[in-house]
Amino acid sequence: MKADSNKFPELNKTKFENRGKEFKLRIPVTNAITIGNSVAVGFGDGTVRIFRSGQISEPIKAHSGVVLSISKDGEDILTGGDDGRFLKISLDGEIKEIANFGSRWVDHVTAYNGSLVCTCGNIVYLWMPNKKEPKLLEHESTIGGVAFDSKGRRLAVSRYGGVTLWKKDYSNKWSSSNLIWKGSHNKVIFSTDDRFLVTSMQENQLHFWRLKDKTDSFMSGYGAKVKSFAFVYDSKFLVTSGSNEAICWPFDGNGPEGRKPICLPYVGNKLVTFVEPFPNENAIFTGLSDGSVFLSEIEKSTNTIIIRSFTESEVTTIAVTEDCSSILIGDIGGNILWTSIWDEEEK
Amino acid sequence: MGETNKQVPVTVLTGFLGAGKTTLLNRILTEQHGKKYAVIVNEFGEQGIDNDLVVDADEEVFEMNNGCICCTVRGDLIRILSGLMKRADKLDAIIVETTGLADPAPVAQTFFVDQDVADRTKLDAIVTVADAVHLSTQLSDHHEAEEQVAFADVVLLNKIDLVDESRLDAVKERIKKINPFAKIIHTTKCGVSLSEILNLDAFNLKRILDTEPDFLTSDHDHEHDDDVTSLSFVSDTPLDMEKFQDWFSKLLQTKGQDILRTKGILDFTGENDRYVFQGVHMLMDASPMGKWPEGKERSSRLVFIGRNLESMNLKEGFENCKSA
Repeated sequence: MKADSNKFPELNKTKFENRGKEFKLRIPVTNAITIGNSVAVGFGDGTVRIFRSGQISEPIKAHSGVVLSISKDGEDILTGGDDGRFLKISLDGEIKEIANFGSRWVDHVTAYNGSLVCTCGNIVYLWMPNKKEPKLLEHESTIGGVAFDSKGRRLAVSRYGGVTLWKKDYSNKWSSSNLIWKGSHNKVIFSTDDRFLVTSMQENQLHFWRLKDKTDSFMSGYGAKVKSFAFVYDSKFLVTSGSNEAICWPFDGNGPEGRKPICLPYVGNKLVTFVEPFPNENAIFTGLSDGSVFLSEIEKSTNTIIIRSFTESEVTTIAVTEDCSSILIGDIGGNILWTSIWDEEEK
Repeated sequence: MGETNKQVPVTVLTGFLGAGKTTLLNRILTEQHGKKYAVIVNEFGEQGIDNDLVVDADEEVFEMNNGCICCTVRGDLIRILSGLMKRADKLDAIIVETTGLADPAPVAQTFFVDQDVADRTKLDAIVTVADAVHLSTQLSDHHEAEEQVAFADVVLLNKIDLVDESRLDAVKERIKKINPFAKIIHTTKCGVSLSEILNLDAFNLKRILDTEPDFLTSDHDHEHDDDVTSLSFVSDTPLDMEKFQDWFSKLLQTKGQDILRTKGILDFTGENDRYVFQGVHMLMDASPMGKWPEGKERSSRLVFIGRNLESMNLKEGFENCKSA
């Protein structure tokens, strides 16, 4: 394989690479967000580029350091940077500064229906729609991640020692309760049906709470930190990185306790660094530490196809457009593939 | 991955408030022209720092759930170092300034425990800035001061123009008692050649062989139990590997909280290679480091820095590891 690849590099290209566009930008890709059929990509030099209809926009000079976090508010992009700025950027590239925290980093951003959230150190800043001043939600330690539930009524904030669950009542007052588990919690997400809350930890494991009765447990056995995870197919599975296989935990019924995950192996035995659900399907895109990306059906592990061959740089983001027509893959070496998912005749 | 795989060296500056950390920091930043540094400071910094890339840290110490009671890491460092490694412009080095009251152990342990940090950065050295006038009192009054000296690879003994020779000797003696392998550099206003404090690679096992610290067998007077002291042992009789591992792992498991640092070069029966190790509390980094040099006598040497060392029967434990 190796000798061939030196002689005939084109032979190793996948059909997705052949029909898509490749960009070698040499700037680390840090994150991406899908907005309709566009994908906004954040980079390690503070720029944001927008990909749509197979085209790449001019770089938008958003931050002076790294785009640490990216999200969206309707049709607008939200970014947080290590220059301390929290920005709203339109798809046309117009930048509006929402807040500036100076030398403190804006680690996480998210939004729900016009409510904008960013975190800086141990504080969540929450701008309610049409309010100029943010509400400050303070925590005991630096925040590892934030997430709204699907209705925007609850905001989960992960931190050292567990998760603070903020709840909004009908008069828009926020009150909090704690989900406790010792250790440092990083990224946090709700299941798409809002029944479960999952965090990744400083240790190589995940923790989850079933919210109706606050029972909790952990998912372990990983060889590396679990940095990427997502719920797939109406929360039937939680798919996770952090191993040489994509580990898919069953979250139907009462959740994964006492049940075994489905493990999807990939050629090359490399570390899975990014997982992205295929919208509305029981399938995932899996990005590996060597830059390769596969598409697999979770319960039919023989049904795996290669989307991108290796680049030798770990995959840091995968984004699929809302109409499922195109996929963007980015890695730490700045290689981007932007390609259609279907053949002309498959459409 | 080529360049992206290069580990960025991290220098940790410790020392009590007023010892001269910020003076040293600004000296590094102004003298190293054309180099790109990130400086991680705590919010109680003494004065302004002259650099483009200054990051505020919170000195958050996290306990790790890995069954090791003293295994703490600096959560803020993990977050900041991981963030810095995403930058498009490559850094030549990172300097972490700690507060005067910080325990250096969680900082060092972060580089042992967190895989992302260990993959992309390396702990270059812990440099402790000490005030020649006040160090003795600080050592008596504060655990943190002892720990900062105990963990140091370099002690910058600053403000020596303000003490007479006998007082200077006494301070040096005190430092050596705590930490026999720290290099002591005398300065006024932190005037030191930067090559003596940067790019030392002090945590590389190879460097332990190169630097040949003062491994002389020590026979200290009995210290106050709570004082940090050091004990070292030498044996010309080869050690039994199994016995040593058994003794040493049990020792770290049970006394790891009191043992701050260990270093050693070991000669095992039946092994051609030198075994080199170093540890911070319970965490260890050990590896065979090639054959013993021709014509040089083989011997095992071991140094402990910590509290209550006298109570651990270290001498007896070490003697029992000798091959029959």
